[in-house]
Amino acid sequence: MTYKPQYYPGATSVAVNRRKHMSGDIEKLREISDEDLTAVLGHRSPGSDYPSTHPPLAEMGEPECSMRELVEPISGAKAGDRVRYVQFVDSMYNAPATPYFRTYNAAINHRGVDPGTLSGRQVTECRERNMEEVAKAQMETEMSCPALTSLRGATVHGHSLRLQEDGVMFDMLDRSRLENGVIIMNKDQVAIPIDRKVNLGKPMSSEEAAKRTTIFRVDNVAFKDDPEVIEWVHRVWELRTRYGYQPK
Amino acid sequence: MADRERMFQKAMENKFTKEFGTNQMDGGEITDMTGKYLRLGIEQSPRKIEMKKAGQDLAKKRGLVGYNPDMHCAGIPLGQRALTPYTLSGTDMLVEADDLHYVNNAAMQQMWDDIRRTVVVGLDLAHETLEKRLGMEVTPETINHYFEVMNHALPGGAVVQEHMVETHPGLVDDCYVKMFTGDDELADEIDDQFLIDINKQFPAEQAAQLKAAVGKTSWQSAHIPTIVSRTTDGAQTSRWMAMQVGMSFIAAYRMCAGEAAVADLSYAAKHAGVISMGEMLPARRARGPNEPGGVSFGHMADIIQTSRTVPEDPAKVSLEVLGAGAVLYDQIWLGSYMSGGVGFTQYSTAVYTNNILDDNIYYDLDYINDKYNGAANVGTDNKVKATIEVVKDITTESTIYGLENYEKYPTTLEDHFGGSQRAGVVAAASGVSTAIATGNGNAGLSAWYLSMYLHKESHGRLGFFGYDLQDQCGATNVFSYQSDEGLPVELRGPNYPNYAMNVGHQGEYAGIASAAHGTRGDAYTVNPLIKVGFADDLLPFDFTKPRVEFGRGALREFVPAGERSLIIPAK
Repeated sequence: MTYKPQYYPGATSVAVNRRKHMSGDIEKLREISDEDLTAVLGHRSPGSDYPSTHPPLAEMGEPECSMRELVEPISGAKAGDRVRYVQFVDSMYNAPATPYFRTYNAAINHRGVDPGTLSGRQVTECRERNMEEVAKAQMETEMSCPALTSLRGATVHGHSLRLQEDGVMFDMLDRSRLENGVIIMNKDQVAIPIDRKVNLGKPMSSEEAAKRTTIFRVDNVAFKDDPEVIEWVHRVWELRTRYGYQPK
Repeated sequence: MADRERMFQKAMENKFTKEFGTNQMDGGEITDMTGKYLRLGIEQSPRKIEMKKAGQDLAKKRGLVGYNPDMHCAGIPLGQRALTPYTLSGTDMLVEADDLHYVNNAAMQQMWDDIRRTVVVGLDLAHETLEKRLGMEVTPETINHYFEVMNHALPGGAVVQEHMVETHPGLVDDCYVKMFTGDDELADEIDDQFLIDINKQFPAEQAAQLKAAVGKTSWQSAHIPTIVSRTTDGAQTSRWMAMQVGMSFIAAYRMCAGEAAVADLSYAAKHAGVISMGEMLPARRARGPNEPGGVSFGHMADIIQTSRTVPEDPAKVSLEVLGAGAVLYDQIWLGSYMSGGVGFTQYSTAVYTNNILDDNIYYDLDYINDKYNGAANVGTDNKVKATIEVVKDITTESTIYGLENYEKYPTTLEDHFGGSQRAGVVAAASGVSTAIATGNGNAGLSAWYLSMYLHKESHGRLGFFGYDLQDQCGATNVFSYQSDEGLPVELRGPNYPNYAMNVGHQGEYAGIASAAHGTRGDAYTVNPLIKVGFADDLLPFDFTKPRVEFGRGALREFVPAGERSLIIPAK
């Protein structure tokens, strides 16, 4: 019997969306060019080569090692890329992704990634070209809404602040904004101005965001309305608690 | 029950719908999901304007730049959202956030000063030495005389040698020592000025418990000068005290300064009969006794005195312990001793401002009383048994209520804009409420961990990397029998494995420890000597109402001790 990952419990749309994010079976909604992506990430100039921190592995004369033979290096490691980051901020007002599900998406579907999960932000570090693959995949798909999701290397508290009156997540450093019905970004992740206005696409309507989101909210899909998820959490907690009780 | 009036409503309205300073936050509802972002910079806040001017004056005076609010993010101008005031929970005191940093708050400093400079010291070993070894008579009169001498000597007055170097009483006026005992007959004979009278300071039932616990033993609660404690450290407290105890015994009982019995008195004061507020920490943390990392959660619960003023309200008692614990453990211990910077203050204010945690806990108590036949009321035979199912039930109800408040009232989400703040508040509500329902601190701790799991799965996020760490593995050590993993919460402390570097937890654990005992009508959480030792109105910081004191500190109404104005040029 072939094992089919179940990923996540629950019968609600939120649970279904969580399974989609984890499985990587996500719908592409928009296109962002490689140059635009490079510009907003801010790690190198668009069109330039990837800076490297070491020669290509093939030229390094690595020692004999069974682990090296077993594990195929990712392309960025082979080439000697730097380790760089992409950091997402997802609004708590029905942004499609949440930090943990961004992390699960990266960790399950991409090799060589180092995801970090916080409340307001989610960072994935990786060899630069592979990091760009993760970033592109998450930005172009239903995992992101340009108005409710943002690339922010610092100052991420907008995730839990009330939305601006135009429905866009507040950004203290004003990296992106609504212009002519689309979200444009003219600063990089750490708010250094870039030489272009990158079109990140149309914001999702509030109905679409509510349909695609992975956060439980009482004004959309309430947490208490998914008893299977709660039962599963209870089970995890109870097993861990009982395991610790070992009077011997 | 879910439609009850929220306790945080007024605080949120003050914060987000009324102008404060010149932030132009007038109008709107606290349920609005969108907000006005006027990006007014720091000029909207009176305190920030004052600070900016002080920074400019400083730069001019010393020829070296200092505070400059334009230095954020390497000079990128901030689109600062509204700077809003905070209400101290349980009060009507509205303060600026900056004034809740302990550097800007004399009351917070004094709370820690008063804890650090305190030790409780036994008198019985010394009295036995005097009576059995030296054949001296110890009577209430000699004890009174000893305390008269000691209150001269402890601040730094000479008692045995001639009047050589002494400390100026105007600089050490906060230093004194008082006595307490569980023996009513002896207490009656002690001069009122020297006595912590258990019968007067505690409600009758608590007094009976405390006197039974203290028994016929007698103790002194000694507070060395704030100025000494600040110049040295917490480990100095027992040493300064022990030296003056030894000298006072010599003087009061006309002993030979060099006789061997003096060594016994010193040993009793320094080691055998001394109770420190905090234990010494291991080398990797490198702190002596009476430093915050060694103050167990149970000790913290006993230091705070709200339990003797509102014994019928264990939730309020826990909230006061929790607020004081947040200041000590988060802002002072983790925020300064162990780390640095200013961010810890922002985290820890969440549990003692704006009544959000208070609302969650009092909601829970209504739920518990309805479902479990008044189990949240003070008593011992009304508690619900601490079982897995009970923890699950109360915690799930409490956590969902708390999280839904953040969803229904976007202003509360904005107030607690960090996930760690929300996680600490929501888990604390579960922990305190479960402890109140069961009278079991570890059931409360267990609730804390379940709440964290539920929170993470509901919002898909929890705290920051290190914040979640202990919460995702902590459930396994709640009932562990291995001594380095599974202690009763009362005996755990900031240096407990995995608790060592984590804001937004330790004050809450102290609150949980307190809750388990307040709900039973216990007079103390873990140590009756500490509870009585701080039952003293003469201390500069009022330990019966820490949150009010923090508010007074923020409003610049609190008068601290240990000031040096006597010996410096007047400004």
